[in-house]
Amino acid sequence: MSFDEVFSVIVIGAGHAGCEAAAASARLGVETALLTMNLDLIGQMSCNPAIGGIAKGHLVREIDALGGVMGRVIDRTGIQFRLLNRSRGPAVQSPRAQADRMRYRNEMRRTLEAVPGLQLRQGKVTEILALDGRVTGVALEDGRSFGARSIVLATGTFLNGLIHTGKRTYSGGRAGEPAALELSQSLKNLGFPVGRLKTGTPPRLDGRTIDWTAFEPQPGDRQPVPFSFATERVDVDQINCYVGYTTPELHDVIRGNIGESPLYSGQIRGIGPRYCPSIEDKVVKFSDKSRHQLFLEPEGHDTNEVYLNGFSTSLPAEMQQDLVRMIPGLEEVSIIRPGYAIEYDFIDPRELGPDLQTRRVAGLFNAGQINGTTGYEEAACQGLIAGINAALSIEKRDPFRLRREESYTGVLIQDLINQGVDEPYRIFTSRAEYRLALRYDNADQRLQKYGRDLGLVGEVDWDRFNARQDRRAKIAAALESTRFRRSDPQYAALANLLNSDLGDSISLSQLAKRSNVTSELVRSLLPFEFKSASQTDLEFCLADSLYEGYLSSYRATMERVYHHDALRIPGETHFGSISGLSNEVVERLEKRRPQTFGDARRIPGLTPAALSTLLVYLSAQQKQASV
Amino acid sequence: MSTIVALSTPPGRGAVAIVRLSGPLSFSIIERLLHNDSNLQPRTASLRKILKNESGELLDQVLITTFPGPRSFTGEDVVEISCHGSPAVIRQLLDLLLSCGARLAGPGEFTLRAVANGRMNLAQAEAVRDLINAQTEAAAKQAARQVNGELSSVLTPLKDRIIEVVVQLESALEFVEDDLPTVKTMALQETLAGVAAGVQRLVSSYKSGRLLSDGAKVAILGSPNVGKSSLFNELVRADRAIVTDKPGTTRDTLTETIDLKGIPLVLTDTAGLRETTDEIESMGIARTQRAMSDADLVLVVLDSAEPIGKAERELLSQTSNLRRLVVNNKWDLVGRSSVGSEGINVSARTGAGLEDLRLAILATLQAGANIDSSLLVTNARHYDVLVRVGAEVDIAIGALGDKLSEELILVPLHNALRLLGEITGETTTENILSEIFATFCIGK
Repeated sequence: MSFDEVFSVIVIGAGHAGCEAAAASARLGVETALLTMNLDLIGQMSCNPAIGGIAKGHLVREIDALGGVMGRVIDRTGIQFRLLNRSRGPAVQSPRAQADRMRYRNEMRRTLEAVPGLQLRQGKVTEILALDGRVTGVALEDGRSFGARSIVLATGTFLNGLIHTGKRTYSGGRAGEPAALELSQSLKNLGFPVGRLKTGTPPRLDGRTIDWTAFEPQPGDRQPVPFSFATERVDVDQINCYVGYTTPELHDVIRGNIGESPLYSGQIRGIGPRYCPSIEDKVVKFSDKSRHQLFLEPEGHDTNEVYLNGFSTSLPAEMQQDLVRMIPGLEEVSIIRPGYAIEYDFIDPRELGPDLQTRRVAGLFNAGQINGTTGYEEAACQGLIAGINAALSIEKRDPFRLRREESYTGVLIQDLINQGVDEPYRIFTSRAEYRLALRYDNADQRLQKYGRDLGLVGEVDWDRFNARQDRRAKIAAALESTRFRRSDPQYAALANLLNSDLGDSISLSQLAKRSNVTSELVRSLLPFEFKSASQTDLEFCLADSLYEGYLSSYRATMERVYHHDALRIPGETHFGSISGLSNEVVERLEKRRPQTFGDARRIPGLTPAALSTLLVYLSAQQKQASV
Repeated sequence: MSTIVALSTPPGRGAVAIVRLSGPLSFSIIERLLHNDSNLQPRTASLRKILKNESGELLDQVLITTFPGPRSFTGEDVVEISCHGSPAVIRQLLDLLLSCGARLAGPGEFTLRAVANGRMNLAQAEAVRDLINAQTEAAAKQAARQVNGELSSVLTPLKDRIIEVVVQLESALEFVEDDLPTVKTMALQETLAGVAAGVQRLVSSYKSGRLLSDGAKVAILGSPNVGKSSLFNELVRADRAIVTDKPGTTRDTLTETIDLKGIPLVLTDTAGLRETTDEIESMGIARTQRAMSDADLVLVVLDSAEPIGKAERELLSQTSNLRRLVVNNKWDLVGRSSVGSEGINVSARTGAGLEDLRLAILATLQAGANIDSSLLVTNARHYDVLVRVGAEVDIAIGALGDKLSEELILVPLHNALRLLGEITGETTTENILSEIFATFCIGK
C-alpha cells in the first residue's frame, strides 16, 4: 500500500494525552505526526478550565519531572493558582490552577510547533490500518492515508460520542465538533472490547449578566506555586473565582423535572464518574442537603465566558436558563453554552501492557479517556508514557514503566491495566500505598533521572535539578548536625518557647517534627549561611524528615506483606504448564499476562492457593535461571 | 527479608517440640534470648537454659542447634530449638521470640524460602507445592468459616468503625474543595476507643482460651503451718502428674504439673520457699507480688483452727483483686471458718472437701474464659494480628490527640485495616471510595 506520507509515530488526537505523547515521541528523535480534526483546538479544555488539584497536581509535577509539557504551559497561562491543603502535611498538598482556556490552547500549540521533528496534521481518521497483528498506518476521511510503525490513540470523548440534552441526542465529540464514528467501528473490527462511559459539563455563562456581589470572592495564593520545576515565577495577571450556592426551591424544581433528565429516563446507559455528579444526581441522592456549593470560574482574560462549576447537567437546554436563574446572583444571567452529558466509547484497559501498548495489535498504544480515565492530568500522564514507549518501540529500546511505589503515574497505569474500570477512573491520593513518599515537591527527586536517561530532560533542567539536590543535601545535613544541648545558651529559651522538655540533646531535624515548630523558627535556628535558603528547599527537607520514620516502618510492613511483588514473570511463561493451577486461573493469567508477581496479585479472582503455586514456580524458575 | 518463626512439630502435647527460626535476625535473636551467650557451635546441639524475660525465672532447658545460611533448610540463618513439648512452654517460647523481633511464619513460608534460595529444586518444590496448597486451602476454608462465624461477626463491626473513621479523614484531605462538614476529632477518638476496647476483649479472650488448653498456673500461698504442703501433696498425689519433676525449676519453689479434669495445672507450692520465723514478711512485698502476678489463680490457705492474724489480713488484701480462692484447711479440726463465709472448707489430712476445691478451681478458671466465650480467639496467628491491630488503633488515637495532619493519622488506620484483612479479607481502596461517595456529596 502506498501512503501519502509516512511517519514513525502517529498520535491521533491533540487533547491533553495526545499533546504529551506527540511532544515526547518527537523529542526522543522519532519522526512524529500529531493528527487532529481541528488544529485550532489543540490542548482544548473541554470541561472546567483548571489543572491540578489533590493528586492531580502531583501527576502534573511528575509529567514535568519526566520532561513533559503540561506544567510549563499552565504556568504561562494560569490565572488563579492555589496550593491546596496548605494546613495539612506536605504529602497531601497539591497545586491547582485556573487556566485561561484560549491562552492555554495557543501556548500548547506554540510549544508543540517548537518541537523539532513534530509535524501537525489536520484530518479525521476513519480507520486504523493493520497487517498481521501490527499497525501499518491510518486512513483519513478526506482520502489520504499515512503510514506509521507505531500509533498512539488519544481520542478523548470523540469515539462514537453521543451528546444528550434532555430527550434530544446528537452525535458529537464535544459540543460543536463531530464524533469519530468510523474509527470506533475500525477498533471493533480489530477485535477490541469496547465499553461505554459518560461524562457531563455545566452551562457557561455571560459574565456581564452576573451579579458578582452576591458571591463570595475566592482569591488565589499571593505567591503562586508553579507546576513546573523550570518555572521560577508565574507572571500572568491573577483573577478571583467566586463561590455561591443553590437553593431548596431550585432543588424542588429539578426534582420535579427529573423525568426530563436522560440520566433518569434510562436514555443514558454509560456510567459516569461518581466524583463529578450532575446537579440532578446531587439533589436526588443527597436530598437532605439544603444547598450545594457552586464556583464561578472566569474562563480567561480575553472573554466574558464564565464556567458554572458544580452544575453539570443534561436537563433540556431550553430549561437550563430558567434553572440557573434561580441561583442567588444569577437572576438575570444569560447562558452562552448549555450544559450537556456525553456518552463515548472506551476500550477495556486490561488490553494493555504497562507500556500502554495493546496486546491485540502490536504498535498500537492507547492513552487517556479511551482507557476509561477522566481528567486532563490523568490523560496527560498516560499520553507521556504512551508517547515515550511508542518512540522507544521504534528504536527497539526497552519499554519504560513506572512503579507504583515511586509515582502516581505508576499507580494509575497499574490500576488500569490490572483492574480495568467500572466508571471513569480518577486519581486519588488514597490509591497510592506510598502516599507519604509521593509528594508534589519531590517529583523531581523521584523521576527526573528517568527523564534525563530517556533524553527528555535537557541540560539546563538537569543542571538545575542537580543544584537543587545539592542545596537540599546541605540543608538536610545542617538540620541533623545542628543540636541543642541542655548546656547550650539557646536551650532554655527554646524549651520555654515550645513549653516542653527537649531532653538532654535534640537535633534541629527532630525539633522540626513538633507540630508547634514553624519553618520560620527552624530557619532562625539554622547556621548563618542557611538564613537565605529558599523556602521551597527548606520545606522539602522538613517534609523528608517529617515522614522519614513513618516511611521506614511502612516499608517494613509492606516488605512483610508484599515482598515478592517485584519478582518478574518472564514473558515466555506458559501459565498452562504450571501444574496445580485451575483452568480458570490459567485463563485469567493468560488474558492479563502479568509481568511481575505484584501484577498477578492484583488480578481479581486469583485465590491465595493459586498465588502460592505461582510464587513457588517463579522462585524456582528464577533460581534455575541464575544457576 | 524478615525473620520468621514457627512450631515445626505437630501442635499439642508431646515429649519434645521443635521451634524453628529462619532469617537474618535468627542468630541475634537467639543470642538475645541467651543473654549474649554466643558460644554456640554451628550444626551442634547445645544444652541451654532459657529464662523468662522479666523475672529471670527459668522457662525451659532446651537444645539449640544453629545452621548458618546458605547451608540450611531455607538457605538463610536457621535456628532450631528443641524444648519440652508442653503447650504452655511452647507458647511462652514463641511469645519471647516474637517479642525479640521475629514474626509468625505464614503457611508454607519456610518451604517457600527454601525454594527461593535454591535449597530445593523444581521437582521437590512441585512435591511440597501440594502441601502448601493444602495449607492455604485449609486456611481459606477456615477463613470462609470465620466469615460466617464468630470471629468475623465480631471483627466486621470493628472494621466497619475503622472504615467510618478512615472515610471521614480521607474525605477531608482528598476533597478539600468540596463543602464537607469539618472532622470532629473527639467523636473519631471515641469511635476508635470503642474499637480498641473491642480488640482488647478479643485479645484477652485468647489468654483465657489458652489458659484452658495450655494450662493455668496456680500458686498456693499462706502462712507457715497452715498446711500448704499437705494440700499440694494431696492434689499432686490424687491427680495424675504429667511431669513428676521439673529439673532446674527455681530451688525455692516446688512446682508440679497436674491434669485436673483435662486442664493442665502448673501448681506451685510457695511452702518450698525457705521458711523463716515470719515467712510472709521475709518474702518481701516484691517477691509475694511476683508469685501472685505470675499465677493465673492463687489459693490462699488459712488455718481454720487459728484466728486471723496481721499476716493473713495482709495476704488477703493483697490478693483481693486477683483471681483467688480462699481455702479453709484443717476444717476437720474445728468445723467453722475463721473468716466468715468465704472459702472452701477442706481437710488435706482426710481428703474431705478436695473435690469441692477441684471443682471450684475449674469453675474459677473457666469463669474468666466464659465471659467472652462467644468470641474466643484460639488461633495464635489471629491473636498476633489482633495485638498488632490494637497497637495501630492506639497509635491513631494518640495521633488524633496530637492533632497530626490526616495523612499521618491514616497511616496506622490503614495498617489496622490491612492487618484485619488477613482475617476478614482485604479492604480495597474501592471499598473506601464507595463509602466516601455514599456518605458525602462530592464533586464540583
